[in-house]
Amino acid sequence: MSNFWDRARGNGFAPSFFVMWLLLGVLLVSALKAQQNVRKDLPSSRFPELAREYMVKAKTLEKLEEEIRLLRDKSTEMENALATGSQKSQLLNDSLQEAKVLAGLSALSGPGVEVLLTDKSTEKRNEGDPALLNMFAIHDFDILRVVNELRAAGAEAISVNGQRLGVNGWIRCSGPVICVNDIRMAPPFRILAIGDPQTLTGALKIPGGVLSDIENADPNMVKIISHNQLTIPGYAGSTKFKYAKPVTEAVAKNEAAQ
Amino acid sequence: MRAVGLIGLLVGLAIGYVLNVPIPAQWAPYISLAALCGMDAAIGGWRASVEGKFVLDVFLTGFLVNALLAMFLAYLGDILGVELLLAAVVTLGGRMFLNLSVIRRFYLNQWALNRRQR
Repeated sequence: MSNFWDRARGNGFAPSFFVMWLLLGVLLVSALKAQQNVRKDLPSSRFPELAREYMVKAKTLEKLEEEIRLLRDKSTEMENALATGSQKSQLLNDSLQEAKVLAGLSALSGPGVEVLLTDKSTEKRNEGDPALLNMFAIHDFDILRVVNELRAAGAEAISVNGQRLGVNGWIRCSGPVICVNDIRMAPPFRILAIGDPQTLTGALKIPGGVLSDIENADPNMVKIISHNQLTIPGYAGSTKFKYAKPVTEAVAKNEAAQ
Repeated sequence: MRAVGLIGLLVGLAIGYVLNVPIPAQWAPYISLAALCGMDAAIGGWRASVEGKFVLDVFLTGFLVNALLAMFLAYLGDILGVELLLAAVVTLGGRMFLNLSVIRRFYLNQWALNRRQR
């Protein structure tokens, strides 16, 4: 037999042999844990394919949204160009642009605040009582309440992680992630709001206010930053209405007759 | 020697459990593959020792080189969009079954011999 084997048997202990088995143990557990982590997010045994597909889809979506943004900008430009012709069309265009601003279709900039909400870091989370784990994660309702508070305090435009909350904006929990306007996102959440920075900050910092629960859990989970100038993108999703139609005189009469 | 391996495995499992190494999702298949290579090497080593042909350096380099090749295949497959990873999985998996059957035969033979002697 080889020298290695003799030496190993002679000592009764071969470090490299031991280390290899040790490595195998670490690898096995790590692989198991990694897979568990992965499965937590996507409940499928075909995770690698799904993950790849998801990445591709996410990239395509990003590109398409960018395209929508560019096209909307271009149409605004054209509307402006058309409007320079006469005073009438200028008036029309002004009201059109105003409506677009109200609907959240145009990018806006101005002074405002940035609210950063993060989950408590996992290592620190593990120290605490597992029953309290829920308190150390940012939930959909946390974001909802912050957005609501900002609106109430006079914020004129709000976005969450770059997703503009326009007239048809929504925020919802979807398993381990949060959906904003059908876009899945994970912490940290960066909420931007245009408005008077002092008023907005004050509204968020009211004792017992929307952020107090989170701050009680861990002050590091919340950060509020005032900005003199910040830009909020326009809503880039679909804006087609399927059911609702504008009320014309004929429709109104018809309904009155019934 | 086998006890050393077993202790090493248990200590490794414990370390892996306690350390809780964070592995990014895109690395998960590679780690699983490495673990598979380790298992193949372990069963291969068992067979070799059963046949009295165990050589430590062959065992160690076998594990390392196989793991590297498997990961390279997986990586290449990722780039090319073909699941080359399956080649490693099928080969290693098939070999594990083969080696296990040799080991099984050896112990069955031994058992039969012992009974005859009694």
